[in-house]
Amino acid sequence: MTLYEGIALIQEKQAVVLDLGTDYTKFGFTGEAAPRCIIPSQFWCTKDRRYKRVHHYNSTEELYENLVQMLHLLYFRHVLVNPKERKVVVVESLLTTTQFRETLAKVLFMHYEVSGVTWWDSARACAATLGTPIVLVVNIGAKEAEVVAVVHGVPVVHAIQSEPLGAQTLHDNLARMLDEDNNAQLNLEPSVIEDIKVRTCFVPGRQLVAQLGGQCSSVRSVQYPRASGALTVSGRARALAAEPLFDRDREQASLPDAVLRCIRSCPIDTRRALAENVLVTGGGAALPGLKARLACELRHLVSQDPYKDSLHVAKFKFHSSPCEDNVCAWVGGALCGAADWGVRAAPRDQYLREPRLRDWACLLHNTPPDHHHHCP
Amino acid sequence: MAYLIQPDYVQYFCTCGQIKPITNLYFCRHCLKVRCGFCICHEVDSHYCANCLENMPSSEARLKKNRCSSCFDCPSCFHTLSTRATYAPARQDPAAGDAKVENKQPKKMYYLSCFNCRWTSRDVGIPDQPVASGGWPERTNPFANRFGQLLEYFKAIAQQEKQDKLDKERKKYAIRGKYITLTDKTGLTGAMARTTAGLPSSESSSSAIANFVPSQAKEEVEELPEDYHTKEVNLKLITTMPQRLASPEWQAQLVSRLQPIARPLSVKRSQRCRRCDHNLTKPEYNPGSIKFKIELLAYYHVPEVKIISFETIKPGCTTELLLKLTNPTAHEMQISIIQPDEVPEVEEKEEPKSIEKSLEKSLNLEKDTSWRQVIERKPLLPTTIKLHKPELSFTLAQRDDAAEYDDDSHHETNDIILWRKSNKLALRLKVTTDEEAKVGSPAVAILALQYSYRNTVPPTANSPQTRDHVLYTTVAIHLGTVTQ
Repeated sequence: MTLYEGIALIQEKQAVVLDLGTDYTKFGFTGEAAPRCIIPSQFWCTKDRRYKRVHHYNSTEELYENLVQMLHLLYFRHVLVNPKERKVVVVESLLTTTQFRETLAKVLFMHYEVSGVTWWDSARACAATLGTPIVLVVNIGAKEAEVVAVVHGVPVVHAIQSEPLGAQTLHDNLARMLDEDNNAQLNLEPSVIEDIKVRTCFVPGRQLVAQLGGQCSSVRSVQYPRASGALTVSGRARALAAEPLFDRDREQASLPDAVLRCIRSCPIDTRRALAENVLVTGGGAALPGLKARLACELRHLVSQDPYKDSLHVAKFKFHSSPCEDNVCAWVGGALCGAADWGVRAAPRDQYLREPRLRDWACLLHNTPPDHHHHCP
Repeated sequence: MAYLIQPDYVQYFCTCGQIKPITNLYFCRHCLKVRCGFCICHEVDSHYCANCLENMPSSEARLKKNRCSSCFDCPSCFHTLSTRATYAPARQDPAAGDAKVENKQPKKMYYLSCFNCRWTSRDVGIPDQPVASGGWPERTNPFANRFGQLLEYFKAIAQQEKQDKLDKERKKYAIRGKYITLTDKTGLTGAMARTTAGLPSSESSSSAIANFVPSQAKEEVEELPEDYHTKEVNLKLITTMPQRLASPEWQAQLVSRLQPIARPLSVKRSQRCRRCDHNLTKPEYNPGSIKFKIELLAYYHVPEVKIISFETIKPGCTTELLLKLTNPTAHEMQISIIQPDEVPEVEEKEEPKSIEKSLEKSLNLEKDTSWRQVIERKPLLPTTIKLHKPELSFTLAQRDDAAEYDDDSHHETNDIILWRKSNKLALRLKVTTDEEAKVGSPAVAILALQYSYRNTVPPTANSPQTRDHVLYTTVAIHLGTVTQ
């Protein structure tokens, strides 16, 4: 046990850190190096008698009920503390919908009566795990890959790049290739696809892709055991599952393009520093070989056409965060939440007086004080 | 009527608007209202290990990170691990000769084994232990050291920010005297103030900042080995996602790196009514006991409705429905069946204002009722099936366990009450289905019960209570689907 964990025990009530991802939810205490639990973001719905995903909702009421159920599961099955009178640190993407944020705030403040909530965006939280002032965070999540430049603790909002290149894209591509290889409509469950991806797939290097061509006959195939007979995962499926991330055909919407676009939209004096402080993280980045491939693609692309003249960065350097890739944002939240002792948390009584959250997209909160539209 | 695996045919409306089977509802004896898991406050009562049924005080549970110290789960299949004993082979010592070995008792050694998937702690090279429980090697998070450094750094920054803010404020209001005192000049007061406030001196926080080494970016990224793609993949050696996520600190990717998982504790929960803060349930402390100290379940207080039988629901037809009503309380109950819209709106309002009341209120903390606006909602009642209200109210005898053995005296019966037996009776009701009811849609009849309830809470001095109340409950009865 490290020194600070001991201090956290003396502290009256340790805050909890919540990272409600699309696929997995990370939940634990501030000041600890790893979350207490990483569980799928779903709960058993007694009404429908099936597992229901938190992010599958049609109305605000449904989302409210989903969040109540999910938090109940987290608090009373995994972390085993009373939610009442305890602070919460929420780690979320900068592009989280207002509906989701406000419903989550309502659930936390009104339903669970927590004493305060701090909102941290995942980009700054990821950057906090490094301790470096300028970081380019490439976060590959379940649905989207987000590229955010964090310069001295401020995310450069106008340069945010977000592409639908998350784990879901990989899963769809893998499922399609498996169907083709087996000449059948397999209709594999998402958990099986994920398992095949995690255990067999990899990202080949740039040269290897060119060498292999479209066939990949030299890549070993794998027999994946299933209850209804083994499934052949061909070498092509293993090697090319992650190819959509690097596919430039769709109007240059590939991951390396997003990274370079983000750097290009940033202030000119930060561009070189950003390129030399790249952090590739998120659960999707844990695929073997992905980081090396991204580095290689970046170095190649920067000398190519749209960037050749506008972007003059010579070097790309990469960080590795002191945690597993899938919990990076959570660990950042645990660090930030422990450092300020919850001073920055929005207190409950303030929310009760005025149930509104601060948001970067809202002009009420980010109009400069000397602007004539500013209202105090 | 609630089943474990079948759908719930009879559901009750909670005060907050949720529709649930009676087994999932609570009844607050102090507000005389039905409550459910959604609108009450849950609290952690006590921690225990579900495997060894050992209690753990919450402070100890917090120290042990909510894990049992003697039980382990299999990292491969998550089944509970069992401790197996073996006799360690007596070590052959070539120098001592054979004679000495015979005298030695063979030593008992223990290892962990999973009876479900046959995983053992020997598979991953954990040495056998000389004691049966505990003593297993503990692993620390490989990143704990760096995490500690980062935390120290951020805390120092936060500290410095706070200090700067304080200094700024002090400067603003400092009244400059004519003469510079010696203490001001040497900065002694600042240091003294810091020590009296118990804050670390400014030097230590700045040294934490100065000594911190930010993460160094590297140009080369670890690449896969050249022959990675031609190597055979043995899926038996690679862990699955659930296996990795079961221990968030390590997330072992290879089966050979799996470690036994200390079993997570469970909690007993107590429930509290949000409105009056009285306990609805409180479990017994003993983990082996499934009894409650306080148990205000709706099942013991609200008349229970069961379906005996019903005719198929057809659009535009009047069909019959047989119900059984049970009185679970120890008092006679006067019940009448009414239409759901006849249930009076009972607003949970404050008492009429009076000077004494507001004086009393000013003493106490104001009760926070903000949760009501988000939790309570009006349920949508389906109106396609109309109930014919029987012009009848009837008494239901109290529950009497001894009455089961008595020969039942014959009660008078009529077309509505088919039979009576101690605290139960059967009813024949008529329902009319709307002409426009869609074929294939679920048929749900709504009926409301008005029943008398005797409150057994001893009246307190400041809240004189009446003993007899008239309460209402609304029930949704699922009658299959509308058929042609």
